[in-house]
Amino acid sequence: MQLFWQDLVNGLLVGGIFAVVALGFSLVWGIMNIINLAHGSFVMLGAYLSYVLFSTWHVDPFLSIPIGFVVLFVFGYCIQRFVINFVVRAPILTTFLLTFGLSLLIVNFALLVFHGDVKGITTQYSGSNFSIGGVTIAWVKLWTLIVALVITALMQLWLTRSKTGRAIRAMAMDIDAAQLSGVRVAHLYAIVFGLGAGLAGAAGVLISLSYSLQPSMGDPFVITAFVVCVLGGLGSVQGALLGGLIFGILEAFGSQYIGTGLQDAVALVVLLIVLIVRPRGLLGKATA
Amino acid sequence: MAAAPPSRALGGITGNATALRVTAGILIVMAFVPLLHSGYYENLGRSVLMFATLSLGWNIIGGYAGYVSFGNVVFFGLGSYVTAALWQHWHQQSIVLAILCAMVVGVAFALVLGMPILRLRGHYFGIATLGIALATQEIVSNIDWLGAGSGLTVRPVDAYSTYYYAMWIVCAASMLATYLIARSKLGYAFVAIRENEEAAAVLGVDPTRYKVVAWAISAAMAAAAGAVFAGANGFMDPPTAFALDNNVFPIVMAILGGVGTVAGPLVGALILTAINETLWSHFPQIHTLFFGAVIVVVVVFLPRGLLWLFNTRGGWKGIVGSLGAYRV
Repeated sequence: MQLFWQDLVNGLLVGGIFAVVALGFSLVWGIMNIINLAHGSFVMLGAYLSYVLFSTWHVDPFLSIPIGFVVLFVFGYCIQRFVINFVVRAPILTTFLLTFGLSLLIVNFALLVFHGDVKGITTQYSGSNFSIGGVTIAWVKLWTLIVALVITALMQLWLTRSKTGRAIRAMAMDIDAAQLSGVRVAHLYAIVFGLGAGLAGAAGVLISLSYSLQPSMGDPFVITAFVVCVLGGLGSVQGALLGGLIFGILEAFGSQYIGTGLQDAVALVVLLIVLIVRPRGLLGKATA
Repeated sequence: MAAAPPSRALGGITGNATALRVTAGILIVMAFVPLLHSGYYENLGRSVLMFATLSLGWNIIGGYAGYVSFGNVVFFGLGSYVTAALWQHWHQQSIVLAILCAMVVGVAFALVLGMPILRLRGHYFGIATLGIALATQEIVSNIDWLGAGSGLTVRPVDAYSTYYYAMWIVCAASMLATYLIARSKLGYAFVAIRENEEAAAVLGVDPTRYKVVAWAISAAMAAAAGAVFAGANGFMDPPTAFALDNNVFPIVMAILGGVGTVAGPLVGALILTAINETLWSHFPQIHTLFFGAVIVVVVVFLPRGLLWLFNTRGGWKGIVGSLGAYRV
């Protein structure tokens, strides 16, 4: 029974990271209908940024979170504004392939700069943990979850309260009507993609605290983000959070009871079942 | 949102007639490559034919029926494992037998999975197929009968060029099949589903049935290519059989040539293999990086494929003017 609680807690802690990764992915998908296959490479860039700041200037990774967000935001803004915007209205296949090409470019560029060897960040507080009722919790992971929850809440506030946030949601509802009301679509599309990249960057910094670093480390997160979006329902902040936490728990139990070798297959089978039974996600709306 | 349907933009349901004749000519010339007695050109040519077949297969479901699949490599992988298992467990070396069995297995897999999967649309269908490919690879890696993670060996037939001719026949048959399908009622049904599924249903096209048929045809082509590839390769393990390259290259090739045309896949396969080979031999360190750049450039500047250039009115002005067709 103790094992059960430990798995549950571990899953929840990891689920926070999944939620932040998926949130950026979900925004880009929900608003522009782009499946961003380069999302994982943004996560990787965030993690390496944190690594470089830590190993060169001893910047604490938790302080690197806003830096990672801003740097990747600018990067994402430029990619959308100067590349993706040219074909954003094309059929889905086009943007899918474009972002695949971008991810190849970014990952291989990182391979050239950072080389393929595995890197990691070890802080003074890396190993410290505490126990409640036999369940061990690492402080780093707990704080990661808390930061993830704060980021999610800020995102929700910004999307519902700010003028830009409202304009973005208007675009998702009816692009033509939004344009007629004075929304600058090209600029706002770039902002949305920038936000997606920024969230991936912030998640990457969080991930650098407890995972090892490698140029291809981001790739699995694309599938994870997709499954989370499908689980929680597309384009909603709460959906990404709920989906992320559920997926974290599923993965923790999957690797415990089914084996680490088949852990990804379990996730994908869950994805297929959810897609078939509830194509709009757990929190998704029923309208077409 | 949607621009002119690709079928019309490309000159009819089979694509531009001149481009098709030229491409068929190239294919016929390619039949004589083994006469050069050069192992290098034979391998390269077989690779072009293999990718062209995979691309033709993808083109049926993704190009004609408009259901963008990102998991067609699963049929290629299963087909290659059929050859490997035939040799490993029954000592059968026959290429014809392997191709036929592979097609049966591929079609059966497509029929079983197609029923639930083809209810999904757009991105959901795409990722579900990608999920199937990844999950199948992982499951095959855990089956001891198929060599699990370490794979199976295949003994190639003595006359090695046989594999080239076999791949040529598979490719030529796939192209001919695509041509015949595109001109038949079946092809019109696929295009009708692509353009508007509801309207197609109202006009008496049963979408589910036709989509499953399209996926099964696409599976048969990929499985046949896989069966020949496994024999020529002499060895099969999960990363080789379900390689991401074999999933993505065919799609890029179809786009480069022209989606929903008969000639497009072979044109794309020829050009992209040539580019890839040149980059590989000159810049081995950064060739994947270059390849990423090629994809980005192709997608941004030629979102409708090369063959489409033949049909643009107004010469260069028309081409330049249409570059911003999908812009915001």
